[in-house]
Amino acid sequence: MSVSVLPPASAPDTVEPVRESRRERRRRERLEEQDSNIPVELYGLRRGTVPFLTSLAFLFAIFTLVPIAWIIINSTKNQANIFETFGFWFARPFSLFHNFSLLFQNVDGYGTYIQWFGNTALYAVLGGGGAAALAAFAGYGFARFSFRGSRVLFYMIIAALLVPITALTVPLYLTYAKAHLINSLWGMVLPSMISPVGIYLMRVYVDISVPRDLIDAARIDGAGELRIFFRVALPLMVPGVITVLLLSIVAVWNNYFLPLLIFNINSRYPLTVGLGLWSLRAQNSGNAQLFPMLVTGGLVTILPLIALFLLLQRYWRGGILLGSIAN
Amino acid sequence: MSRRSAWINRRDRRGIWFVVPFLVGFVLFMVVPLGYAIYTSLYTSKLIGGTVFSGASNYTQTLQSSDFWNGVIRVVIYAAIQIPVMLAIAFFFACVFDLGVAKFGRTFRTIFFIPFAVPAVVGAVMWSFLLEPQFGPVVHLANAFGFSNTNFFSSSLLLPSIIVIVIWEWTGYNMVILYTALKSVPRDVVEAAILDDTPLWKIILRIKLPMVRPAIVMLVFLNLIGALQLFTEPQILEYFQQGAVSVNYTPAYFIYQTAIAADETNLAAAMAVILAVVIVLISAVSLVFRFGRSRRRRGEFA
Repeated sequence: MSVSVLPPASAPDTVEPVRESRRERRRRERLEEQDSNIPVELYGLRRGTVPFLTSLAFLFAIFTLVPIAWIIINSTKNQANIFETFGFWFARPFSLFHNFSLLFQNVDGYGTYIQWFGNTALYAVLGGGGAAALAAFAGYGFARFSFRGSRVLFYMIIAALLVPITALTVPLYLTYAKAHLINSLWGMVLPSMISPVGIYLMRVYVDISVPRDLIDAARIDGAGELRIFFRVALPLMVPGVITVLLLSIVAVWNNYFLPLLIFNINSRYPLTVGLGLWSLRAQNSGNAQLFPMLVTGGLVTILPLIALFLLLQRYWRGGILLGSIAN
Repeated sequence: MSRRSAWINRRDRRGIWFVVPFLVGFVLFMVVPLGYAIYTSLYTSKLIGGTVFSGASNYTQTLQSSDFWNGVIRVVIYAAIQIPVMLAIAFFFACVFDLGVAKFGRTFRTIFFIPFAVPAVVGAVMWSFLLEPQFGPVVHLANAFGFSNTNFFSSSLLLPSIIVIVIWEWTGYNMVILYTALKSVPRDVVEAAILDDTPLWKIILRIKLPMVRPAIVMLVFLNLIGALQLFTEPQILEYFQQGAVSVNYTPAYFIYQTAIAADETNLAAAMAVILAVVIVLISAVSLVFRFGRSRRRRGEFA
């Protein structure tokens, strides 16, 4: 289908010569949005429709925020209060700081949260960064060169999306067991760099944002292909690269199945596997500290990503996400 | 002409070097594992006699295993409920925000998107606390409304609970994508409809919906692949309430239990291959459906 993948609104990000401040950009974006909307009065709605629809959205927002509110409130409680007091209000004693300090300890040998946090950040930065870099190269290669077999290769990569994670991860685990790669950093990072969705998004983005003529002009000027990529194409691809980076980091940060299989000592765990393990131990071991640790650890896990998304709103709002499904 | 195309050919051949780094990783971490899965699935390791070639025996064992197919049927039922409900909610709010007929659309869009940033493990942990049969606040709420002894981890309510959790996790993401797709519907079409006094619900169902159908079909497709691999949520629920989730609850969970807990890796590999085939088949059917539809539509306009 030839539905346009990117709304033109994101083009000014790349072309506009004058740099605007963040506040100016937000203002402009809000005005543009208002401008593109048809005034509500024109729909000829019955009175009360707008308040009604707003309250429906409000209800769904409550549904969305309930677990978040719960985890914020209960990170301030001790074990007894988590279970015995009303879930959506605070209770004495205020245990947030105590709970937080537990995240730095290795309680009962079940692992240290802060270590998992470091591991996750490392895996996410290396894996997500690698995925974005490989996607930028390959997306550019697929979008701007038609070498022999390029189409077939591209469709093969897209078809790989159909292969279930279990069908890839179980054999990966078996190979690692043979090659002594269990518990190795690279066993986690290298597979995370392979993101077919990233390739697809970058290809679509290059098609829209890097004009062929510009590349040809650089060639006529005698620039080498690598130089053209870094000096001409890459600067134009930055918004796309950041979106892919964001999605890849989230994918690694949230990955559960691969690390669950390939790590068996808890000093290597990422947050997801560690917290999963705690939720099992908390039920079985009878250690009163594990439930508050689980709740507080969960909160600390989600805060960085929520902050990242709020800061980088225009990259997931810009419409590049749509590239993953349109076409 | 021939000189020019020779130049282009030489230039284009160089393009493969941009793709090579990814291709190496792709082969090592996707093609090779898949090949290795097929290879190991053809062997059986026995206590006495070591690993021996056993041909298709792991496959026949899986195909005849009602445990495996029960799991497959369960995720298909799960997908058939979860995906339409989620997409309906996502499309509804995407339209409402796109038309601007609710206030604070921007804020709501940001709030709805937040769960996308929450790892499935943490999402499942939070919901497990909320739904926990003895202490969970949602259970207290259910009791207050007269549904006494509600147990969200019981066999009859487990699947609905998982559906709620996954809807919570993914609706916002789908909504943002549909919202972006709706933004590309030309404004003048809607304006013309308004001038004709078309009611709002007709604008949504007759104009907006058909124009974003490619996006919706693709979302169905992606969500379907994800749904058939359901793993994290049932596993965390099982941690919270041991015995609530059977070993064969979903195919992915069954494969994990077979490979890790039961240490029958060859059998697990065969299961993984069969699951892959099932997913490819279901996806192929939905793709055929998609292309069939779009051809008919093109016919309409021609």
